[in-house]
Amino acid sequence: MSENTKLTIEDLKKIRFLEGYTEEQLKIILQMCTMKEFKVKDILFEQYDELKDVAILLEGTLSLGISLAHEKRIHLGTIDEGQLFSWSAVFSPYISTAWVMAITPAKVISIDARKLNKEIEKDCDFGFKTMAKIAQTISHRLSDTRFQLMNQLIL
Amino acid sequence: MMVYDKNIYKPLKAKLIEVIEESPLIKTFVLIPEHEFSFKTGQFIELSVDGIGEAPFTPSSSPQITDRLEVTVMKTGYVTEYMHNLKPGAYMGIRGPYGRGYPVESFFGKEVLILGGGCGLAPIRSLLYALEHIKDNLEKVILCYGSKTPSDCIYKPLFARLNSIEKFEAYRTVDKAEEGWNESVGVATKLLDKVKVNIEKSIAVVCGPPVMMKFGTLRILEMGYKDEQIYLSMEKNMSCGLGKCGHCMMGEYFVCKDGPVFTYDELKNTPDIWK
Repeated sequence: MSENTKLTIEDLKKIRFLEGYTEEQLKIILQMCTMKEFKVKDILFEQYDELKDVAILLEGTLSLGISLAHEKRIHLGTIDEGQLFSWSAVFSPYISTAWVMAITPAKVISIDARKLNKEIEKDCDFGFKTMAKIAQTISHRLSDTRFQLMNQLIL
Repeated sequence: MMVYDKNIYKPLKAKLIEVIEESPLIKTFVLIPEHEFSFKTGQFIELSVDGIGEAPFTPSSSPQITDRLEVTVMKTGYVTEYMHNLKPGAYMGIRGPYGRGYPVESFFGKEVLILGGGCGLAPIRSLLYALEHIKDNLEKVILCYGSKTPSDCIYKPLFARLNSIEKFEAYRTVDKAEEGWNESVGVATKLLDKVKVNIEKSIAVVCGPPVMMKFGTLRILEMGYKDEQIYLSMEKNMSCGLGKCGHCMMGEYFVCKDGPVFTYDELKNTPDIWK
């Protein structure tokens, strides 16, 4: 993994997850961000790791899954460009519910979750937008999981 | 005495010239009808085997081609199992076309988002051919397709071909990846998170297994599509194809006559539409 902090407001404007924020709010997010690059098979984090950053995939594809006994990895799905992951970093107990691994070279924007939570508390508009976006991500994951479950139950 | 000049139940004879194995359970039958056979994309036919029975299918070939018909059949029961054992040279019967297809003329000037799953790609392929034919009048066509595994993904060369056509984008996902798969993994709806559409100038088409139809339609509504912008292809136990037997009744509609293509607006108050 390597770090590269050369991110600009223009980079952030291209990210779907960050649509709807004002220029000022994007400037605040920029101050919390670092860009990280990962090679194929790099593990971004393991299940049950303590998470400090929320992340958005900028380029590449990541695999998300859970681990069973004997470290057997069960691959549940992919994270595609523009998607948010590592949302557990925002909510107590800040422990990841899954592992994430790069399956292609990947560029990831990491947002410092401690700073993000402070801004959420400070600025209601920023806080509402951010929480609504994170809730939507979690809602989609839940809906997709139900869809997968029904596929298994019916077919 | 009343004279019938046409027996509506009499099928048109068609010679099977090729059988394409799409997946372990799905085959495409290439047929040459005895005489020209035209249909509108989204309409369905009754495909039969003498002495065995008939079943409804939506052709998967281009509606522009009238001397050759392709029908993709999933092995699910007695008739389809028999069909799967047919070899080139055999004869089959075609009745139809029946029902209401996609109103492609009303798609002019719009972006078309198509969500498909499993064998639902068969009618979608026919729609894609029709859209390709009118692509100069369309803004964009996006296909999001999900299958259980890469082996279950039908029409494999179709995706590369679509991505090479101007204005077309095609994405695939599988529930469970296999060795060598480097595309998306997860259910079909997850692909909707990565498509960019101008919803006001767009329509959406959903076709696939009932579970996918339900979750797909809900996600498309969440994206901001209005009820009347969503087209659903409801393949519901069609039998006679003529609105007489009542097998396919869904609320106030005969799917075989009033559908199989409906807008969500038409069906949203119908009980059990996803069953």
